[in-house]
Amino acid sequence: MNLIFLLLASTKYLTKAQIREAIGDYREATSDQSFDRMFERDKEELRELGITVEIGSHDPLFGDNEGYRIPRGTAELGDIELTREEAAVIGLATQVWQHSGLASGSGNALMKLKSVGVDVDTSVLRTAEPRLSTAEPAFDAVWDAATRRVPITFDYARPGQPASRRRLQPWGILSWRDRWYVAGHDLERDDTRVFRVSRIRGDVAADGAPGSYEIPEDTDLKQVARGLFPPPRDEPAVLRVRTGRAQSLRRAAESSTPRDDDTDELTIRYGSTWDLASEIASYGPDVVVVSPAELRDHVIAQLTRAASGELAPVKETTP
Amino acid sequence: MSKSHDQVLRMLAMVPYLQSNDGVPVNELARELGVPAKQIRDDLLLLMMTGTGEFGGDLIDVDTTALEDEGVIHLRDAEFMSRPLRITAQEGAALVVALRTLRASAGAAQDAIIDSTLAKIEVALGDSAHTPVDVVLDEVDPAIHQTVVQALAEGRRLALTYATASRDERTDREIDPRRVFTERGKLYLEAWCLKAEDLRFFRLDRVLAASPTGEPVEDHDAEPRDLGEGIFTVGSDTPYALVRLHPDAQWMTEYYPVDLVEQGADGIWTAKLYGADPGWLRRLLIRHAGSVEVLEPAELRDEVAETARAALAAYDG
Repeated sequence: MNLIFLLLASTKYLTKAQIREAIGDYREATSDQSFDRMFERDKEELRELGITVEIGSHDPLFGDNEGYRIPRGTAELGDIELTREEAAVIGLATQVWQHSGLASGSGNALMKLKSVGVDVDTSVLRTAEPRLSTAEPAFDAVWDAATRRVPITFDYARPGQPASRRRLQPWGILSWRDRWYVAGHDLERDDTRVFRVSRIRGDVAADGAPGSYEIPEDTDLKQVARGLFPPPRDEPAVLRVRTGRAQSLRRAAESSTPRDDDTDELTIRYGSTWDLASEIASYGPDVVVVSPAELRDHVIAQLTRAASGELAPVKETTP
Repeated sequence: MSKSHDQVLRMLAMVPYLQSNDGVPVNELARELGVPAKQIRDDLLLLMMTGTGEFGGDLIDVDTTALEDEGVIHLRDAEFMSRPLRITAQEGAALVVALRTLRASAGAAQDAIIDSTLAKIEVALGDSAHTPVDVVLDEVDPAIHQTVVQALAEGRRLALTYATASRDERTDREIDPRRVFTERGKLYLEAWCLKAEDLRFFRLDRVLAASPTGEPVEDHDAEPRDLGEGIFTVGSDTPYALVRLHPDAQWMTEYYPVDLVEQGADGIWTAKLYGADPGWLRRLLIRHAGSVEVLEPAELRDEVAETARAALAAYDG
């Protein structure tokens, strides 16, 4: 802290000797080497905080009088013009994170904006209040790795299965149904992979330096992770549905035509036979499949399993 | 980021702010920064030991009397840092991702205003605005999404047609929107339901139709539910099913409210699965029959089998 304040307060370049003299901890250093170590460590910490320390001299003729400073012009936050509504949007955004580190990160950003004159009154705008939680123990490490491009290694396991060691170059992270996923290049499999952060067991270790790999241009995380989302609904199916029942199927239906007093005929588009068949089965006698035959067979098979009541697993696609 | 990193970043944000907001209460600052008030006091103590040092001038000073007696902060001798440093990459990433999430949840009604905010923030952030973090929400009908958020923003009453999942029914009612929020990545509306005369939650993807009635919302004396524990909480009378789970179905323990009872040596788990409604549970169990076996309650086990047999009868012949 002292080093930041000292360099900020000075308009001149300060020589190493001046800096050593000005800061208590440095003065107390017992040797030149130990002062050098402390000074380098602190400068590195400033770099990690995103603060650039400039090395230079006011008098180019005396190159040996080299000094350090933080260039205020580039280090300080410039003015930013926001409308009342825009300022409110930022205020509301800082309430999104339920996670302490990121909540204080966005809180710091808001505070800095207020310090340069942004007037935040969240009452001028009513909007949605989304919440992002990060219950996964490995979240912090994965977030840090993905935002700084640090290769990582970790143990990974689905529930009830043994863990395996993975090495990953993270390309990005994605939240879907309030769960975090990390996508990237899996060095063991030499392929693109998506991992559920909650399934990472134990610690995440750095496996290289920050920025030591490139993320392929035009990487679209949603595209990389498309396996997570429901497949596109292309196939048509015809169902007979009891009047007023099976609301989830009715919502998804393309058309609904009354067939008689008790039944409607629904046309619905679907992507996964398994998903639609198990949804149809769940409504019991309220829904009957007319076509296609493959869907009908799946529904009959699922209902037969439910009627028997016993474990008779078939390969189910895990979401 | 380590804890000491967090503290340094927070103190750097605080110093200019406290100068332009002289006399701000500790509690207010703590709330804004998302940390406990005790943490702010610790930060201030540490700040008093820093400054430009003996070389450039004085240490930063905090009026400790005002802090102890009134709980407000007066900072002195910090003029060397009257402007904040640029928003760091970490702070910027947290803010940009929050804004993207807000944009996805607010729908078309407000995307112009959120987009212009994002654009200005991205300019201020420079390179660090390109955060590789995406937040994907479950899709809802864009027109319904827009109507609901607009009614919330403008304080308008809505006529709603809603499909209840528990009883598998379609219902019509008038509601006064209170808030729109996300739970497990799905959009919900909390509203005063004029039919139930109470607050109700509605999942936006189950709203079949929504239109303004032309009337403004009224004030209702009702505390919004605290969502800290989520909208579904398990109580002593919550419907449940004791089930055996084949490995193929063990992912359910991550998705649904579950108490894991036993992880058998044969790879089969025993678990207690909770649902808001017995009808919902029955449908879930039929849907995953084969990899899930119902042990208790016996009525639910029988109901699952009978429902399935009744459905199979339609395919005979």
